[in-house]
Amino acid sequence: MRLPGMILLAATLAAQTVDRSKLPETPPLAAYKLPPTVEETLANGLLVVSVRDVRFPVVAARLGFRAGSKFDPAQRSGLSETVAALLKEGTQARTGQQVVEEMAEIGGAIDAVSGPDNLVVNGSALSENLARLLDILADVTQNAEFPEDELKLRKQNRTQELLAARAEAATLADEKLQAVLFGSHPYSRLLPTAESIAKIDRAALLDFRRRFLTPNNGILVLTGALPPQPELMKTITARFGSWAKGAAPPQPAAQFPPPRRALVLVDRPGSVQADIRAGKLSVDRTSPDYFPLIVANGILGSGTSSRMFLHIREEKGYAYDAHSTQSPRRNGGFFAATTQVRNEVVQPALEDVLGELRTLSSQPVTTNELTDVKNFMAGNFVIGLETQLGLANQLSMVKLNGLPSNYLELYVTRVRSVEPDQILRVAKKYMSPDDAAIVVVGDAAAIGKALEKFGRATVEKAR
Amino acid sequence: MKQATMRAPNLLSLFLAAATLAAAADFQIPFEKYKLANGMRVILSRDSAAPVVTVYVIYNVGARSEERGRTGFAHLFEHMMFQGSKNAPKGVHLKTVESNGGYLNGSTHPDFTDYFEVLPSNKLAVALWLEADRMRGLNITAENLANQKEAVKQERRLSVDNQPYATAIVDRWPELAFRNWSNSHSLIGSFEDLNAASVDDVSRFFRTYYAPNNAVLVMVGDVQAAEAKKLVEKYFGDIPSQPQPAHPDLTEPPVTESRHASVPDALARVPAVVIGYPGPPRRSPDYYALAMLDVIFTGGDSSRFQQNLVKGRQSVVRYEASLGWPFASGADYKNPGLYGIYLLHKPSFQGRQVAGQVQEEMARIQREGVDRKELARAKTFFRASQINQLQTSLQRAMLLGQYEILDGDPNMINTEMEQFMAVTPERIKAVAGQYLKSGVRTVMEIVLAPKKEEKK
Repeated sequence: MRLPGMILLAATLAAQTVDRSKLPETPPLAAYKLPPTVEETLANGLLVVSVRDVRFPVVAARLGFRAGSKFDPAQRSGLSETVAALLKEGTQARTGQQVVEEMAEIGGAIDAVSGPDNLVVNGSALSENLARLLDILADVTQNAEFPEDELKLRKQNRTQELLAARAEAATLADEKLQAVLFGSHPYSRLLPTAESIAKIDRAALLDFRRRFLTPNNGILVLTGALPPQPELMKTITARFGSWAKGAAPPQPAAQFPPPRRALVLVDRPGSVQADIRAGKLSVDRTSPDYFPLIVANGILGSGTSSRMFLHIREEKGYAYDAHSTQSPRRNGGFFAATTQVRNEVVQPALEDVLGELRTLSSQPVTTNELTDVKNFMAGNFVIGLETQLGLANQLSMVKLNGLPSNYLELYVTRVRSVEPDQILRVAKKYMSPDDAAIVVVGDAAAIGKALEKFGRATVEKAR
Repeated sequence: MKQATMRAPNLLSLFLAAATLAAAADFQIPFEKYKLANGMRVILSRDSAAPVVTVYVIYNVGARSEERGRTGFAHLFEHMMFQGSKNAPKGVHLKTVESNGGYLNGSTHPDFTDYFEVLPSNKLAVALWLEADRMRGLNITAENLANQKEAVKQERRLSVDNQPYATAIVDRWPELAFRNWSNSHSLIGSFEDLNAASVDDVSRFFRTYYAPNNAVLVMVGDVQAAEAKKLVEKYFGDIPSQPQPAHPDLTEPPVTESRHASVPDALARVPAVVIGYPGPPRRSPDYYALAMLDVIFTGGDSSRFQQNLVKGRQSVVRYEASLGWPFASGADYKNPGLYGIYLLHKPSFQGRQVAGQVQEEMARIQREGVDRKELARAKTFFRASQINQLQTSLQRAMLLGQYEILDGDPNMINTEMEQFMAVTPERIKAVAGQYLKSGVRTVMEIVLAPKKEEKK
């Protein structure tokens, strides 16, 4: 509906001269101020973090556990993700269908995601239904039954999904790079295999839940239109307070192979493109090298002003996508430069990728470049915290990784304080090309010759 | 009631006080709308909760405006919008947004093309300056055009030619499902047509469609209205308007037959089937009912497809569906709508069997309807997902702009929920019978083909 408008006609056109040729001056970014965040721990060790934001009548929950795929037994890779997938498929009190119908009735959704380090149960609901959301969250995490028929179906469907995922060149490239970099550590496994999925049984799922989904191994983050804190804690304690503590699960040893130059060609016949990765192991968020390293990565390949984007995509036109990432884990992490190019230019494109790594690790970055990338990273970080979900995800990440509570507030400051000499030092250490691992996925018949220049390639068949 | 607002001089203003309208709703997105003298519509919505602002410019031209021999042109043109303008030469736009802490993008849709910048809110002027500079005049050169043709081709190789399912969905599906060329041509275009695009084509397209009177500017976030309006007038106020462009006739002839095709895909490892039914007119009572029926079929884990096909029959692995699928969502297409369903299924089933199972789901609704409890659940699910998607300033800006371009009423962001909530079980049963008939459906099976190597 539109109300009758009011028309205002200006008497004269302004004769003022307006300078539109120059970018307008704007004030610098303000420091980020975290909204009031409350932390309380239940007697059984469950940490509760909450942020109240009443703009929209919804609530979001993140119930995270240090229970990611790195805890999968080697022969049963995919155990953690199967626990996550089947968590809502039935408890003693509710069938799977009841769980999802109840979630829909409260205007919510529930799903659990398993990453390399953590398993996080995500839930949301209209805020008037917070108590029912917590009922279900508490039930599935404490009592999931993993019914046999659901497990059987999940295994069948997951096998098909894995086939579909590995039909994509990018999956094959990412998978191979992580395998080369992390060696025998569980971080080497991006995805489970059909064989390892086949070995998973109900007993293993129940055992995983009992050992890893415990209150003292968990963190509950709540954001949104929450009730006042005392009422909130009462509601939470009623549902999670009687949950028995567990023994702290042992961490896999953080032992990784030393960096070495490897060149792997994954043969994907019929590919009209080559997917290129160059990567090395790096560090986690607690390392003093972390902030210099993410700023170095920003200069190299994050965003459309980065060196890789400008040189490989814009100047040379080799690729639509050229970027780099730092992927921190709880322990360690890895760096990867990524691009997909048409077959004919695979050699010059890979030369350029390695050339960018060499430049970054041998020449200091310019002040302008550094200032711009710091603003880019700081501004986008703050934008990411705009929503309740964005904030919930970040708070959950901070707590699960054992980072200090002021990590989010200090992020902007720490990015801004990185100096060119720190960048040069960390780039030399973690991003120099000589001992980088190189993975190329493509049609070996079409691109094999072009790769000879980079050394002897190990050729593997795409799975 | 009108909001008290500051008015910059030289404005032809139409004020809309939305804040007092839909009073009982769950949420209220406040905004005001006005028009500059050159015809550009401006929508301003303030939210001071986070120090962020989105600037969104939406133009009333999309891939369905393309002419024969120029498929893919709207998308190619969108790339040209990042190739520099008078005061922000090539590279400056992206660099300026990023070095001021923001991000940006543009995208081409069947019925509109849009551009946005999300920035820390004290950088509003930066985004307005950039958007105005390129609306005022683009650097259209042979070199830029040649370069972007390559970029688009590379994008096509990456996201279509080298992807399983994509060629079938992007190139074949529209041909099969639509009869009117404006709707049925490939929206990403052929290499041949991309090569044929000339500098003149680009200039003409720019003049015709990228005029202020064919655009809507939306600002959402932590900004002061008076200050924002001054900046808008300063940067956009004297960009000349152009004759109002004609828009293509998208009318489809009545569908009287079903169609079927089987498309081999050498990159796919899991077979798929796509099913389409001609849909009701946008924003009609039938449209709201079919949208709610879609939630019943595919919304969330308690949906019928999940419970009956993925679980019950165990034939389907994954699915997606919506009015407007695959290039638009239920909310952002112009007529004619198509209710599209895409299902990955187990190789032990044939695509046509799965299509048959889907048809049985439709027949069940036609026969039995839905009970009130299931419909109530679907409505709650829908309401919550709509509220959740309003959380980012970017989403709110997109919705406000798209409602304005497609429906002429941005306040639908606040009021449209009522139409969805008013859908009755009787109406659901009726639309299932009227639209979801096997006699008018299009079915495309995507079947596994041998890898290229094995064909030799």
